[in-house]
Amino acid sequence: MDLQKLITRPEKGAKAAKAADALEVVGKSVQRVDGLEKIKGAARYTDDLEFGPGLLYAALVESPHAHARIKAIDTARAEKVHGVVKVVTGRNFKHKFGLYMNDRYIFANDVVRFVGEQVAAVVATDPKIALRAAALVKVDYEELPAVMDAVKGLEKGSPLVHPDLKDYTHVPWFFPKPGTNIAHWRKIRKGDLAKGFRDADLVLEDTYTVPRYAHCAIEPHSAIGLYDASGRLTMWTSSQSPFTQRHVFAETLKAFGLSHKDVRVISTYIGGGFGGKAGVTMEIIAAALAIAVPGRPVKLLWNRAQEFYNTYQRLGVTAKIKMGATKAGKITALDFKLYWDSGAYVEYGANVVNAAGLSASGPYRVDNISVDSMCTYTNLPPCGAYRGFGYSEFLFGLESHITRMAEQLGLDPVEFRKKNAIKEGETLPYGAHMNPTGIREAIERVEKEIKWGVKEKSKDPKKAFGKSLVCFWKAPAMPPNASSSAFLKFNEDGSVNILVSGMDMGQGLLTVMAQIAGEVLALPVSKIRVETPDTDRNPYEWQTVGSHVTWGCGNAVKRAALEARERIFDLVQRVHCLDKSTLYLQDECVKCRTKPDFSLPFRDFVINGIQAEDHTFKGGPIMGSGVFMPEFTSAISDPETGQGGHPNVHYTTGAAGVILEVDKETGKMRIKKVALAVDCGKAINPDLVKGQIVGGLLQGFATVLYEDMRYSEKGRLLNPNFSDYKIPTSMDMPDEVVPIIIEVAQPDGPFGARGVGEHTMIPCAPLIANAVADAVGVRVKSMPVTKEKVALAVKAAGK
Amino acid sequence: MPITAEFEYVKPKDMDEALHVFSLYREKARALAGGTDLVVHLKEGLARPDVVVDIKALPELAGLSLKGDTLRLGALVTFSDLIESPVIKSKFPLLLEAALTVASTGVRNRATLAGNICSAVPSADSAPALAVYDAEVLVRSIRGERRVPMAEWFTGPKKTALAPDELVTAVELRLPEKKHAGCYMKLSRYEGEDLAQGGVAALVFADNTYRVAVCALGPKPVRCSATEAVLNGAKLGDKALAKAKEAILREVSPISDIRSSKEYRLHMTQVMLGRALETAVARLFGKGPKYGSENIA
Repeated sequence: MDLQKLITRPEKGAKAAKAADALEVVGKSVQRVDGLEKIKGAARYTDDLEFGPGLLYAALVESPHAHARIKAIDTARAEKVHGVVKVVTGRNFKHKFGLYMNDRYIFANDVVRFVGEQVAAVVATDPKIALRAAALVKVDYEELPAVMDAVKGLEKGSPLVHPDLKDYTHVPWFFPKPGTNIAHWRKIRKGDLAKGFRDADLVLEDTYTVPRYAHCAIEPHSAIGLYDASGRLTMWTSSQSPFTQRHVFAETLKAFGLSHKDVRVISTYIGGGFGGKAGVTMEIIAAALAIAVPGRPVKLLWNRAQEFYNTYQRLGVTAKIKMGATKAGKITALDFKLYWDSGAYVEYGANVVNAAGLSASGPYRVDNISVDSMCTYTNLPPCGAYRGFGYSEFLFGLESHITRMAEQLGLDPVEFRKKNAIKEGETLPYGAHMNPTGIREAIERVEKEIKWGVKEKSKDPKKAFGKSLVCFWKAPAMPPNASSSAFLKFNEDGSVNILVSGMDMGQGLLTVMAQIAGEVLALPVSKIRVETPDTDRNPYEWQTVGSHVTWGCGNAVKRAALEARERIFDLVQRVHCLDKSTLYLQDECVKCRTKPDFSLPFRDFVINGIQAEDHTFKGGPIMGSGVFMPEFTSAISDPETGQGGHPNVHYTTGAAGVILEVDKETGKMRIKKVALAVDCGKAINPDLVKGQIVGGLLQGFATVLYEDMRYSEKGRLLNPNFSDYKIPTSMDMPDEVVPIIIEVAQPDGPFGARGVGEHTMIPCAPLIANAVADAVGVRVKSMPVTKEKVALAVKAAGK
Repeated sequence: MPITAEFEYVKPKDMDEALHVFSLYREKARALAGGTDLVVHLKEGLARPDVVVDIKALPELAGLSLKGDTLRLGALVTFSDLIESPVIKSKFPLLLEAALTVASTGVRNRATLAGNICSAVPSADSAPALAVYDAEVLVRSIRGERRVPMAEWFTGPKKTALAPDELVTAVELRLPEKKHAGCYMKLSRYEGEDLAQGGVAALVFADNTYRVAVCALGPKPVRCSATEAVLNGAKLGDKALAKAKEAILREVSPISDIRSSKEYRLHMTQVMLGRALETAVARLFGKGPKYGSENIA
């Protein structure tokens, strides 16, 4: 080894120090770090992983009934099929599990509660054999009366989906009502509601309904489990939540001697999540099957139909709104009742109900407010997280209602919104205070973009134009102690590997994490590698949900990078006797403000240290770790009023507007232009934020224009396929999309950033409903606002 | 999703062999061309044949040709073949317009026109166009060959005049002698691929005669002769249109299902009839949107 080469020498001609606030990596639309791999088709997803010829395949036996008692299960014929390794039922798995409420079993134990629920599984050497044998498992059921409607489920004498609700354990911020179908009742009471209505010049009351929706990620759920001879369970899953899954696997299967250290979850890239791959759904079955068949990997792959009926669905809701406002346009009172159809198990979905209940005022200051957000069990498939987490659902009614209120008061709906829009520091429905927000600027920018106030007329007499503008907000819904963490390691050439457990599900998390670290460490993104996690090696992340990872995980990465930088400065100070406060990083080098010719490239010391005058080496591998937990939050509040806690970390706000063309005869709607402004605090990567805006809008418009889950009277999903559950194609893009980024910094966010992922879809439903009303004068109060509903309403109105 | 059913697969080299298999297995044999329906049905357990007869190697079934005024579409002709054919574009543009609304490019690359009419779902997009062009279906069995006019082809939902031992060899269309133009209007839930919730094809002739056919508005696609009768001889105007819209309601019998309500289908039957006729007339005079655009209602 040539020692001379190891001696680090400062480089000549170093550039002057950059201005303190000039960002070089953050705020730039760098190419995504996983882009090339994905474009080339080289990126590997869970189903692509190879496990060799020993791989076993599982197929399920599913309930044909919405509610029934299992009288007997006969597996004898299935077990005799050549190639069948094992038939597994609920007999061996008696432990309940859940994310926020322990209300479900791995396999239905005594009772099935929705059509499609897993009753047993066949593990075989071939997927066809598994399917054929599963068809031979005979289950005797005794049908029970079922609950098919969330509002009817509250009536006295309704059948109970969970008669033993009183025994279920749950997080302390849930308030189930045993003896009813209410799994959780989030109440908010603030101000004087009666006085608020007395003070109003107009009180308007109405009901809005929203059906269930499916995420329809293009990649179905898949999981492979291996329980090996060393007593460890390794799970490869397509998941937004590797660590939460590890926790649920370890807790649920601890009777088999597993502890958290024994469970390892490896998550590959995922082909879309949208909340559907958060928490644990089918993965727990693969984990149980791995335990049942030790020593061989077992694969469970959902087909498209299962993807619809046995993962989480978005909750349906019946929303009753009573709102009061003065002639001057001040909202004086809001009484909001949300009846959620949450399905057979609400271990995740109840938190959607909770989150919506806390924030049902929308981004408005409402001093007198009452919210009842009720999570009702039904005998339909379980509901859970879906991009928007309850906000799309309540905003449909709320923002439809606000436009109607304004119009009935003879006020401009946009002015009405401006007047009531929440400001920083104002009191939220649960008593905490609003974070900095650019909502007013968002409204103004969108207003201008869609030429609000200018009525446009179609040249085609059969068509009419309508405009609308609505506001939105959303906070991450997470436990008060949901944490993120990061490891950062320098390599010999000055490049860096970052280990996090946030998931890239298309939103660009890996790229953004690289940008945050790159900014702190004066490294281009090309010198940083961030990959999907393995819970054995990567540090903890609660889940990639709630639009919080850029903020939470980003804070952890920033802290890790700052720690690494601090170690670099400490070392340089120690060896080169330069004061730490004069040091800075630029162009992959350490530089000094007082010594312009000092420049020490990272590659010269980040692994092997700096050689001192006496030829010894100082330092060693440079690493950093960062942890972030929002230490200011609390979920505990008065159950009767919701006052007293600080359940949400911050709200991201924004506004959106459309110019819609409506065909009065056919009802066909064409979005000529949509503008969406969102206050993301700081766009770490503006192109990725724009991607969220475009994608979110397309997804949102699909839910309002044509998507819709339909059930038979017996609780069977009628459209578990893309023939009759329509998701948007490129041909369904609006004619013009204008993404607008507002940057009012979030003080505790990395470089001021706050979440933006979900928000971009949640204003879509009221946008369309209000624009239809503006165009053709009919009001549709039930989603989806299909062309059929519009055409028939126009026809009925004789317009 | 794997196919769990077991069946024999044969790929006959000549017609005799193929027809022999069909005569032996009858209902238990299913022809495989594009497979876009059959394979899905096999996966879902809706089709349980003993033998799948792959007809793709039969030379008699291939090809698309116009001889004189007769267009022959071999049973293996796909929707993409139709869309890419200059003959179809110049001589039978209504068929092109209908073909463009079938599923998506990937499906159209495999799905055959013959398969579409053999599946015989009420929403078959190709059926109204074939009906107004007075198409005939050529079928063969070891008993011989016969021609079935479109009017007699569909016998009910997913039911046709094809006997269990028969195989469709081609569909033939006659190029109308008189100057004409057409339009196919399709009711879909969105702009992407969809099964028709209703479809109306119109062929308008320079001498003020008309042909109209519909799909997805009753148990089977049908020609609407009463509607044609009230239109024939009249110039298309408000009065004629109003009468035609009245008449067509007596020729359709839509149901309410997951895709659409009966009420909306009836409403859209009239709207689409009006728009199809108006567009066809505009095209007759060299105006109107080009074929394949603006026909999703």
